[in-house]
Amino acid sequence: MKPRPPTLREKRRYILARIVPHYRRIEARQMYIAAFEALTSLWGDARASELQMAVISCEPGHCIVRCRRNTEALVETALSTITDVDGDRVALHPIATSGTLHALRKHIRPLPEGHTVDGMDIDGREYAGILFMRQKVDLYAKGIKNQETLYFTRDEMEVD
Amino acid sequence: MGCTDACVFPYPHGDTSLRRLCLEARNLGLDSIVCIDAVERGQIHDVLVRRGVIIETGSMQEVVARVKKEQRTADLILVRAGDGAFNRAALSYRGVHILRGLGSAPKRAFDQVSAKNAADKGIAIDIDFFPLIHQRGASRQKALRCYRDVLRLHRKFSFPLTISSGARSLLDLRSVREITRLCAVFGMEPHEVEDALFTVDALLEPAGPVEVI
Repeated sequence: MKPRPPTLREKRRYILARIVPHYRRIEARQMYIAAFEALTSLWGDARASELQMAVISCEPGHCIVRCRRNTEALVETALSTITDVDGDRVALHPIATSGTLHALRKHIRPLPEGHTVDGMDIDGREYAGILFMRQKVDLYAKGIKNQETLYFTRDEMEVD
Repeated sequence: MGCTDACVFPYPHGDTSLRRLCLEARNLGLDSIVCIDAVERGQIHDVLVRRGVIIETGSMQEVVARVKKEQRTADLILVRAGDGAFNRAALSYRGVHILRGLGSAPKRAFDQVSAKNAADKGIAIDIDFFPLIHQRGASRQKALRCYRDVLRLHRKFSFPLTISSGARSLLDLRSVREITRLCAVFGMEPHEVEDALFTVDALLEPAGPVEVI
């Protein structure tokens, strides 16, 4: 089948969203499921079908979502209501919208590197942690089930 | 003066420490936050931290007693909304700064009389977008319906509005851009969102008559 000429093609917009915490590994398919659930629950099936949302890529720290032009505000709002993906607590912060992927990729910042530390004690519970620049420390309760996460800074942890 | 998130819960209420919340708030474009039971105040990581206290009770007598007790230590006093009679009474008492939690209050908890009281006393009504993010279905629809009604009364009576995330984790905080988008869901215009984000400063320094010094 012959492809449509550019003038007859539907105009698209691409949304770049920051994933917090950035080290969560999320598959594009899982992100699509979460985003579609958020879209449908907020705007309803009829409206969601008009948006033609698709997840273009989902890399550590950010994801790119495609939608129809003039519907980016609706998609951004729905992305803001995502609280977990495949059972993992995450937040998505839309940061930029563009008509081309090339322009959007300029907004992607390098990810901060962290190193792991072990054996930190908070309120009698043992935690392992990841130390990042700008004083951030993410802590995970040790255990197999219900791994609680705490978000602190180095000042509060007194970590050297 | 700055964009303020009117209610966040740092550790131990939530999973994020006060300083980490400040770091994240700065990244998201907020200038100040109201922390419930915060142990520190002032500028932390370029974010102004104000100490807030939430009074959760159904009795007005208890509210009056708690307000008198907390007035000296807290910058802002927030009261959780209850039924219509309680809200009317709370909105007539000058020691209260913000009434929050209307999204989960009973039916007819906020009417034109409460709106008039809030406007007269300069008490703000809080729009908490926690239910918009974390709830689905009927409970979210109820919150949206309530906020639409509050907005309609705000446009008529001009009482102050504040916006809060009710964040118990840094994952619950939202940027100014996202707040504007979320508030548009129930019909709040961007300039109204901007005014609401700046309301906390006005609550702490209410406009009074001109004085000769």
